[in-house]
Amino acid sequence: MWAGVSSAHRRDEYLQAARLAIDPDRVELTLDLTPGIAVAERVLRTIDGDADGSISAGEARAYAEDVLRAIALDVDGTPLRVALVDSAAPAIDAMLRGEAAMRIHASAAIPRLAPGLHHLRYRHTDSGGIGVYLANVLVPASDRVIVAAQRRDVDQRELVVEYNLRGDPTSRARAGVPVGLAGALVLIANLWWRRRPREAA
Amino acid sequence: MRSVHRIATLVSIGLLVAAAAAGRGQRGLANAQADAVARIVAAAQGVLTTLDEAGRAKVQFPFGGPQKSRWSNLPSPMFQRTGLRLADLAPTERAAVMTLLSTALSRDGYRKVVDIMRGDEVLRTTQASGGAGRGGGRGPTFGENEYYLAFVGTPSATAPWMLQFGGHHLAINLTLAGSQATMAPSLPAAQPATYTFEGRTVRPLGNENDKAFALINALDASQRAQAILGYRVADLVLGPGQDGRLIQPEGIRASALAAAQQTMLMELVREWAGIMSDAFAEPRMAEIKTNLANTYFAWSGPTTNGSAAYFRVQGPTLVVEYAPQNSVDHIHTIYRDPTNDYGAKYTTK
Repeated sequence: MWAGVSSAHRRDEYLQAARLAIDPDRVELTLDLTPGIAVAERVLRTIDGDADGSISAGEARAYAEDVLRAIALDVDGTPLRVALVDSAAPAIDAMLRGEAAMRIHASAAIPRLAPGLHHLRYRHTDSGGIGVYLANVLVPASDRVIVAAQRRDVDQRELVVEYNLRGDPTSRARAGVPVGLAGALVLIANLWWRRRPREAA
Repeated sequence: MRSVHRIATLVSIGLLVAAAAAGRGQRGLANAQADAVARIVAAAQGVLTTLDEAGRAKVQFPFGGPQKSRWSNLPSPMFQRTGLRLADLAPTERAAVMTLLSTALSRDGYRKVVDIMRGDEVLRTTQASGGAGRGGGRGPTFGENEYYLAFVGTPSATAPWMLQFGGHHLAINLTLAGSQATMAPSLPAAQPATYTFEGRTVRPLGNENDKAFALINALDASQRAQAILGYRVADLVLGPGQDGRLIQPEGIRASALAAAQQTMLMELVREWAGIMSDAFAEPRMAEIKTNLANTYFAWSGPTTNGSAAYFRVQGPTLVVEYAPQNSVDHIHTIYRDPTNDYGAKYTTK
């Protein structure tokens, strides 16, 4: 189980750092959740359901699913279904010291989109209070996705990524095969027509 | 006709002289780097010589192992460091470690490291250690004794190895491979960000702060509109544990800056790139300058010096972040090279 150590010394805040990786057909979401020392016990009461002083895989998963229910993702206004891939919690001691992060990895399929400009909206809809947020988009791994602009609200609970989707060169190539064949047939037919034996007038 | 020949001869001689000078410059740089590596390796071997067998076993880690990425801004034991702890060293051993650092780093870089460590000593004397949580863990331990040295790989003038030195608010990861070196990723931070030592005011990251505020205030309204992000950035985005990630750049592109502003940006970056020995810092600065047109400067927060403001400089081979932690007196920063963290360019075939 991955046990991360966060970078900050937060005390009374719950840092929720989101990173989005956009591919042509899906978006991967990673969340690092770091409660500060003053709020860690409160957050842990929610995670450690049986209060046995440790976070089981089941408890981590249940909490991760709770967190994901507060995450809204859409592309061009069409909501995406965010599915948990995995979650990992650090040792409870480290979390109580306010310095270790729980990591959640989720994924959402993007419906087939036409080439051109699209908008991916990420929104963290939790009730807030102790939350501080980071939301960032990674440099896309696919050269078909080009990030054009990013917009956030002042607290980074919402991030809108404007991106250009290029056409799939392999599907273009596949589409080109019948066109090429048709062209070749027309050419052959034309040649045959010109060279056919002509009847005497 | 004779004058044409004369001009052609003069031009040829000029070109030859220029080529020779450039060659001398390259040779000069290569010599300086080879010399710096030899001195660093000798200083590292000097540390090993002062240690007994147990000490040598503690400081040495395999190059391919997990130690490379085991660093943090957190105090011990919140983050459990391994390596040679300064508190456990005899004075001669500790002196050898500090000699190694002063050899491997530039004069300013060494001063910065010492100032960060002294700052942590100030923190130790002004804050009570302890404070165990529900889990019964030990509280943080501060102070200039709580820094660790590790050699990842064997100190060598030819084979890759890494000098790792860190503790609370400090991670120096200097990877050397033959005559090449990189200090990415590294994390200089400070708390308190201002303190008094022997009657003088010390600001370990004062230059970083002041140069950044000078730059944002040197931008005109239209440039500021591009540079300033409309949202709060509470923390480092690419801090510890974020190896290999690269976020989409934001802010103003350096190509939209005037020459004087570009110079200010380069001088700001030097505060991180210049921590390592000058022999390596100068070519690194040249590399960053080559990519300057595609480098971005982003800002979040007030623009009056003395305020807590976040900034980021991001280019093809560079990420620098400066993130106040809810206060001007507690700063985290990160320095990365997305193409060469841990010397990936030198060690990946």
